Amino acid sequence: MRAQSLIALTLAAGMLCAGPAAGANGPAAGKTVKIGVIADVTGGAGVYGTSQKNAFLLAQDDMARGAIDTRGAKIEFDIEDPATDPNQVVNLVQKFVSDGTVLQIGPTLSSEAQKADPIAVSAGLPVLGTSNTAQGITAMGRCVFRDSLSEEQVVPFTVRRTLQKWHYKTAAVIYGDDDQFTKTDYDIFKDVLSREHITVVDTETYHKKDVDFQAQLTKIAQKKPDVLVLGALAQEAAKIMVQARKLGIKAPIMGGNGLNSPALNKLAGSAANGTVVGAAWFIDNGYTGNKQFVANYKKRFGVAPDQFAAQAYAAAQLVAQVVGAGATTRSEICTALRTLRVANTVIGPIAFESTRDVKGAPVILELGPNGFGYFK
Amino acid sequence: MLPQQLANGLFLGAVYALFAVGYTLVFGVLDILNLAHAAIYMAAAFLTLALVGHGWPLWLAFIAGIAAGGVMGVLLDRIAFAPLRKRRAGPLAPLISSIAMAIIIQSIAQGAFGIDEQRFPDSVLAVQNFHFGGVIFTLLDVGTLGTAIALMLILSYVLRATALGRGIRAVAEDRVAAALLGIDIERTIAYTFFIASALGAAAGILAGLQFNSLSVDMGGRIELKGLAVIILGGMGSVTGAVIGGFLLGAVETLSVAYISSSFRDAIAFGVMFLILVLKPTGIFGRKALRAA
Repeated sequence: MRAQSLIALTLAAGMLCAGPAAGANGPAAGKTVKIGVIADVTGGAGVYGTSQKNAFLLAQDDMARGAIDTRGAKIEFDIEDPATDPNQVVNLVQKFVSDGTVLQIGPTLSSEAQKADPIAVSAGLPVLGTSNTAQGITAMGRCVFRDSLSEEQVVPFTVRRTLQKWHYKTAAVIYGDDDQFTKTDYDIFKDVLSREHITVVDTETYHKKDVDFQAQLTKIAQKKPDVLVLGALAQEAAKIMVQARKLGIKAPIMGGNGLNSPALNKLAGSAANGTVVGAAWFIDNGYTGNKQFVANYKKRFGVAPDQFAAQAYAAAQLVAQVVGAGATTRSEICTALRTLRVANTVIGPIAFESTRDVKGAPVILELGPNGFGYFK
Repeated sequence: MLPQQLANGLFLGAVYALFAVGYTLVFGVLDILNLAHAAIYMAAAFLTLALVGHGWPLWLAFIAGIAAGGVMGVLLDRIAFAPLRKRRAGPLAPLISSIAMAIIIQSIAQGAFGIDEQRFPDSVLAVQNFHFGGVIFTLLDVGTLGTAIALMLILSYVLRATALGRGIRAVAEDRVAAALLGIDIERTIAYTFFIASALGAAAGILAGLQFNSLSVDMGGRIELKGLAVIILGGMGSVTGAVIGGFLLGAVETLSVAYISSSFRDAIAFGVMFLILVLKPTGIFGRKALRAA
């Protein structure tokens, strides 16, 4: 009994030392930096923002126990929820600009980033987007980065891979024309489809928060396209899928990043089966820390992480690396990200292009009854 | 494609019409716009969802939701309109108090149900597809249309053939004369609010079921359209509201089918504007409720 206690005590002491000791020698050791996170935990983008918040909560703990090495620096995530309201996003950026925050992570949606990032840029606050995939995001400033693959990087892959298997000649497209992200998806798909000589037989639009898509889908059904392309976020995409299947559209469905949410299964049921999306991350990959990340996330939150959680967690790993290496001010962090050679993360080894977009290869996934798997 | 699009418009228009009928009824009787009508539409839908969540069968939860909507309407009148009526406030003061009530109801709903979209469990919805004459529809589509039409027919009967209906029409015509005839004005107004709000509640529940989507801002989607419909139909005209509702559903659907989905709302409102240019009092003028 006594021996056991001694061993336990020694182990505990060892663990106490091991965590901080591993990186206590970093140039930023003992310093505290504050990172502002803007995640839409509620509202229309709540599906994505909740994953992001969870990932940062997990990362915060993993830093405290040494599973993410900060080399002795203390990183505090200030996670705020603007409830998918662009005005609240702007308020939060203004708060971060003035409260000593050295890096803004987020916001969740590209359309929010279009409003928020210019404010950060003019105040010299660097930005790291983890889910902004629309065109032109990083062009807003020399310190605006993203670790999410842009749709321009993913969509051509998706179209080429589906073509190999489905051999389609025609497509119909439906997209939200009042949202930056879904509009971008449409523009990119249109370009890529035309480059691949696919005839677009019908193009339909909808507005945010629409619930009835039957008029558009009836029109599409009549044109009998080989595939249906969605430029939509999960909430609307689910309704479009259900109503499309109801109206007899049997064409396979493919889409961009907005469809890459496990919530689709829950929202659309069997109507979502067979949907193909291009993505930046797959749950069963073997990259640094991914297995533990997935296991810990499931244990803590009761659900599996999605791509949005993974990209957020990767951002935390990235931040730990540059802060641990001594970047603790806004300009130092910007420079460190610009000159980053490579960071090993759950979404793979990443670095940034000169455009500050992330370098990486997409994976093509197919939604089955039990969730996403590789599209084969 | 045309039969399917007309059916789409019919299913969509049924909810518009049902919502607008209650909206216009209050205007016909009291000459006030009840801007909290859309809030009751939303609250009743959520209440029904909550009851279904507690294991109630859908039909029973639906009836309870409608009844609760009616009661909310009566309370709304007691709190927001009756005190102003007693003080002979003009037509603008009730507009403000109904906006206040709408905001309060929405805030309460947001606190109780959250701002995320909610759905009925799949098990309560009939998803079986039917094909008839080139039209595909679900039992839910037909149920929505049938229920909406049945409720509107019942309203029409009540207004035309019952003592209550005659009372409502008399109060709409001339409140003082109705009082002289021995009609209890306040009670008649309370009944009017009950009926109007119950119909608005039914519209909200059916809309929530039809597209299986409930959110606390769902009232905002229909409020402006409902207003346009009752102006188009002729303020205070129940028949006009019904026709206006179905017309809007049809125009929205057909503008997507034959012009462009991007301009759906612009075209729908443009058509309504044209009709009003031709007939500024709306399709049925404003004497219709009184003649009902």
